[in-house]
Amino acid sequence: MKPIYLKILIISGILSLACTTKVSEWVLLNALPNEYILAYYHKDPLTETIKQHNSGISLDIKSANIQFKSILKKNLDRPYYALYYNNRLFSRYYDYRELENLAVSPLREKIAGELMAGKLCVMLYLKTDIAEKDEPGLRLVKKTVTASPFGKIIPVIELSRNSMEEKHFASMLLNVESDLKDIREPMLFGIFARFKALEPLLAKGISEENINLMIDFLTADCSCLIKDNLPGTDILFTNNWENPAPALVNRILDENPSLLHH
Amino acid sequence: MEQDTITYDSLENRPLPKWLTDQRDGLNKYQPETLEMKEDKSLSVSFIITGAIILLVVTVLTIYILRKNRKNST
Repeated sequence: MKPIYLKILIISGILSLACTTKVSEWVLLNALPNEYILAYYHKDPLTETIKQHNSGISLDIKSANIQFKSILKKNLDRPYYALYYNNRLFSRYYDYRELENLAVSPLREKIAGELMAGKLCVMLYLKTDIAEKDEPGLRLVKKTVTASPFGKIIPVIELSRNSMEEKHFASMLLNVESDLKDIREPMLFGIFARFKALEPLLAKGISEENINLMIDFLTADCSCLIKDNLPGTDILFTNNWENPAPALVNRILDENPSLLHH
Repeated sequence: MEQDTITYDSLENRPLPKWLTDQRDGLNKYQPETLEMKEDKSLSVSFIITGAIILLVVTVLTIYILRKNRKNST
């Protein structure tokens, strides 16, 4: 066989595989997380103490999807740190100690572990800490996920929006859309790939139909329409996403071809 | 698919995420081009051109043969 024919055969093989890869797997393997920017605004020259604080912060976030910059700015009352994602201001911090564990936390490590183990996604239920609001939705989420053929590869994890230990994570989730901070309702985030959080279902939007649509979205073939316009917000976390386990969704689909959809 | 400027009057009317409505409405799929049947005139054009060529050849040959015969008779 001529080498050119062999090349054409291999390229068409790769292209045909790319079109049948599921959304969750394709994004995990191919889409790099967007970077955050942490800016330190100051009007005076940096003192040795501040330089030390900032180098400590740089060290803490070194391996995450974030850049750290110092920006000189006139007409400033006092210096502060600002966290941006895609030119959107997520948070302001007036004390360097508030930035502790900005890029890492126990729950984020647990979720990343699930994603790297080949799970389809993690459904994160963000609670209001008002039991009457939280409990019915949580029961529905667990029931729907358990009933799904993909239930075993979708862990459901709960988080309080008032958690101090996970305050940065909760804040990033509440910044996925501009109005979420003001909505005191339980929210369901689908987290997949390299810690990408989909725009959430909330309040009455947390329904069996919508949860199944979320599962359908993640188990569908990754079309060019999705690749060109990926939804969701990347959560700040370490960039170590090399060598994830094979996606478990493929095993379920191989065993049950009737679940295949496009 | 960002939804930065969401406008709604009550939580009940808050729009669902775009990824979800697209999935529900089948808009995340590759939309194949819809093929429309067009009127095919190539066969008639072919017949007309063939007929015209035959007529032209017959006419040219007739004139040629008639002239040749007339020349031979004189």
